[in-house]
Amino acid sequence: MTFLSSRLKPLQMFNRSINFWYVSSFAVSLFVAIPILTVFSSYFSSTSEYMELLKTTFLKDYIINSTIILVGVLSLTFIFGVLSAYFVSFYNFWGVNFFKWSLILSFAVPAYIYAYSLTAFFENYGSLFSLLTWIFGEYNYNKHIPKFDGMFGAIISMSFSLFGYVYVLTRASFYHQSNNLIEVSKNLGLSAKESFFKIILPSARPAIVAGLSLVAMECLSDFGTVSFFSVSTLTTGIYNSWLAFDDLNTANQLSFILLIIILSLFLVENYSRGGAKYHQNTNTGFRKIPKIELKGKKSLYPIFFCLLIFLLSFIFPLSQMIYWTAKFPKYFQDTNILELNLNTLLLVFLASLVLISLAFLINFGNRISKSKILDNLSMFSISGYAIPGVILAVAFISFFSWFSDTLTKNFGIISIKNIFIGSIFGLIAAYFVRFYSLAFNGIKSSYLKINQSIDDSSYLLGYSKFRTFRKIHFPNLKNSIYLISILIAIEIIKELPITLILRPFNFDTFATKAYAYASQDLLEAAALPSLFLIFWSAILIFFTSKHILSEK
Amino acid sequence: MSINFLEINNATFVASKKNKVLDLNLTIKNEGDIICLLGPSGIGKTTILRSIAGLQKIPKGKIFLKGKLLSSDIDHIEPEKRNVALSFQDNSLFPHYTILENINFGAKRNRNANYNFDTDELIKLLHLEGLAEKYPHQISAGEAQRVSLARSLMSKPDLLLLDEPFSNVDESLKVELQQNIKKILKEKKITTIIVTHDSYEAFYMADYCGILLSQTMKQFDTPYNIYHYPNSIEVVNFLNRGILVDAKVLDESSVEHKCLGVIKGNFVKKYKKGTAVKLLVQPDDLEHDDKSNLKLEIIDRKFRGTNFIYTLKTENDDLIPVFVHSHHIHQHEIEEKFGVKTPIYIDHLVCF
Repeated sequence: MTFLSSRLKPLQMFNRSINFWYVSSFAVSLFVAIPILTVFSSYFSSTSEYMELLKTTFLKDYIINSTIILVGVLSLTFIFGVLSAYFVSFYNFWGVNFFKWSLILSFAVPAYIYAYSLTAFFENYGSLFSLLTWIFGEYNYNKHIPKFDGMFGAIISMSFSLFGYVYVLTRASFYHQSNNLIEVSKNLGLSAKESFFKIILPSARPAIVAGLSLVAMECLSDFGTVSFFSVSTLTTGIYNSWLAFDDLNTANQLSFILLIIILSLFLVENYSRGGAKYHQNTNTGFRKIPKIELKGKKSLYPIFFCLLIFLLSFIFPLSQMIYWTAKFPKYFQDTNILELNLNTLLLVFLASLVLISLAFLINFGNRISKSKILDNLSMFSISGYAIPGVILAVAFISFFSWFSDTLTKNFGIISIKNIFIGSIFGLIAAYFVRFYSLAFNGIKSSYLKINQSIDDSSYLLGYSKFRTFRKIHFPNLKNSIYLISILIAIEIIKELPITLILRPFNFDTFATKAYAYASQDLLEAAALPSLFLIFWSAILIFFTSKHILSEK
Repeated sequence: MSINFLEINNATFVASKKNKVLDLNLTIKNEGDIICLLGPSGIGKTTILRSIAGLQKIPKGKIFLKGKLLSSDIDHIEPEKRNVALSFQDNSLFPHYTILENINFGAKRNRNANYNFDTDELIKLLHLEGLAEKYPHQISAGEAQRVSLARSLMSKPDLLLLDEPFSNVDESLKVELQQNIKKILKEKKITTIIVTHDSYEAFYMADYCGILLSQTMKQFDTPYNIYHYPNSIEVVNFLNRGILVDAKVLDESSVEHKCLGVIKGNFVKKYKKGTAVKLLVQPDDLEHDDKSNLKLEIIDRKFRGTNFIYTLKTENDDLIPVFVHSHHIHQHEIEEKFGVKTPIYIDHLVCF
């Protein structure tokens, strides 16, 4: 008997650890890892001639251009984000509560849409030209109007659409600083100014760095803007080697370079975010910092600054798009706007459903099995967020072409390429990789708020794991599901490269439709889908503003 | 042979790498007994409760409830199938249910129980009136603890486990609650294990006490025996009962201390004549007497409400505590001499 049980033990241990939760966690992580694995493996495979050519000619340009844009965008977003966060956090002035949340409306305007507005406004015979003519009469203003295009235009567009990350994170960090700290520093004899530079700003540094690294990741991943302004960067290089030269291998090798840069930023961001948590102890002893009242002349600086940023980042692109939509009503007929709405809705619905159910499943599994291995595995599976859309889409195509070809060659199965490439299913799968971290982390953070002893109590009162989920977890997580679906919706509405590359034939969203018109030099026609895109995103941001401003 | 109600055989409980309890044996013979586990914090008391409840697995040993195997290194019955209730020390109320819903959450669990509770009666006994419609975040920590206790009772468990049940409850309410709970548990014959670090709570509530020190159960006995017959120096020190002084056994009913002289009494264990022992001297063993010839120097005086504790120094540097009633006619100052009544008589001579 004892002999038998001791023989059985290793087997049972094995059965205990290889259970449903491990298998599903592992499957999700593996699936999310597909793009990274593809890119890495193709880097070490043979190089094509085109790659050799690239190395000697354009590769340097790509990297230099990407770097210049990056530096420009980081500097501008730092100034916009930190200054506006500083004003709304420490001062009371006319309109401060409005600015506090209206500044995040900039998230509704993706950089490529901003680029369309910028061009539409400043181009020859553009909106500014019409405006000047209307005010001052006929004259050839074109040579006096500055042109925001090329690299400069790209920097401006990205800065206005991305500064929100720095703003939100810095503001949260300012907000969560307890007044106790400041009182202690004053008590120790530091002046208000000294407290700001010695206490407040240094402790916000991790948050600022985290915000800037998010900006950097988005900036390097950007495809729509640089492609519109015809700036050659790594992302356009990847896209072109896939589309124009049909050279997946080169595309993946370029991806490798970009991915290395971005993954290091991802590490910086995670590291700084860890640091940013230290002062967010909102438990006992937290007291809000009293704001400084500003009246009269002194209040004009912050009002002017916040208003300017708000007008430029949101009102400007919005009104440009409204103006054009009204001016060229004929595109109403050319664009099937109902279909675009329905397509977007379909994608949002399917993606949210898949993302949230799987995120729930994995989180629940991690929670009830309390395994460190599972925790680490899921940490790995959220890395998909860091992968630029272009890389993800191209790697997706390479992987499934290879996979399908291998199957056909070895087992004679008919090609399964079409299941994944150019289908709704494939599109949702790619979204899944890209946005899994959003869903997973969202549910995880609300799960962490439920004390473990609450689960235990429920078991002890006779409730099974599944009933605990239904009666305890689900009601407590309902709000976060609602929130996560909205965040997913905002991302999908704004998403361009993945949809562009993986969508089924003739299937369009606002983003791809606007892009298609814009790349045919039909900016007027791009206005309508762009307007809808801004409209829906802004509404969804409005609903989540409370969350974005408090926790993100 | 009748079956023991609860039996823990040679079980090891692991809280963390440092904190474990090794090879624990614990038997509760009768249904309705109340057991208190006493020990310093971090020793693994909570882990023992969690393991009995099935929230943690045990790497070694066996746990039986009413003759049924609950846990061993191989078998593990899930917590929801054990009918063992654990009331947590920290707040574990369901945040989205009202207090009343929380209390009734497990009420339907055990239809076969041979006792029953009326929710209103329980609310009254635990002083939870007026909280029924509130939500957990609206009540205090002490109230939450009592709600959690009510919830555990309502599920009519075979075995009730309480983890520091009164740690957040106001001192003034504590005594009354202890009385009420003890009454309920005894009336309904609910077998209970209470974990606490408050020895007076344990002595009041328990039929049997277990003292857990340095990874093992040092002593398991009735509160009276634990108090009067501690079985090791560690238990003496943990209960903070008194001090140990060097003495020599004179005969079957007396020992001799260098300064205090001959001390008479009954030995708990037998010793040979002339053995050098450590004798336990407790504050209530010595009596104050101003007329006595035995005078010792006072080096400290603590006011404890009903009494003073004087710390006296003997010539061979033993520090001996003595209780004196607060209403004693006069007080003595530090560095004064203090008379101790001779000959000294200690009822139980506890020696090691």
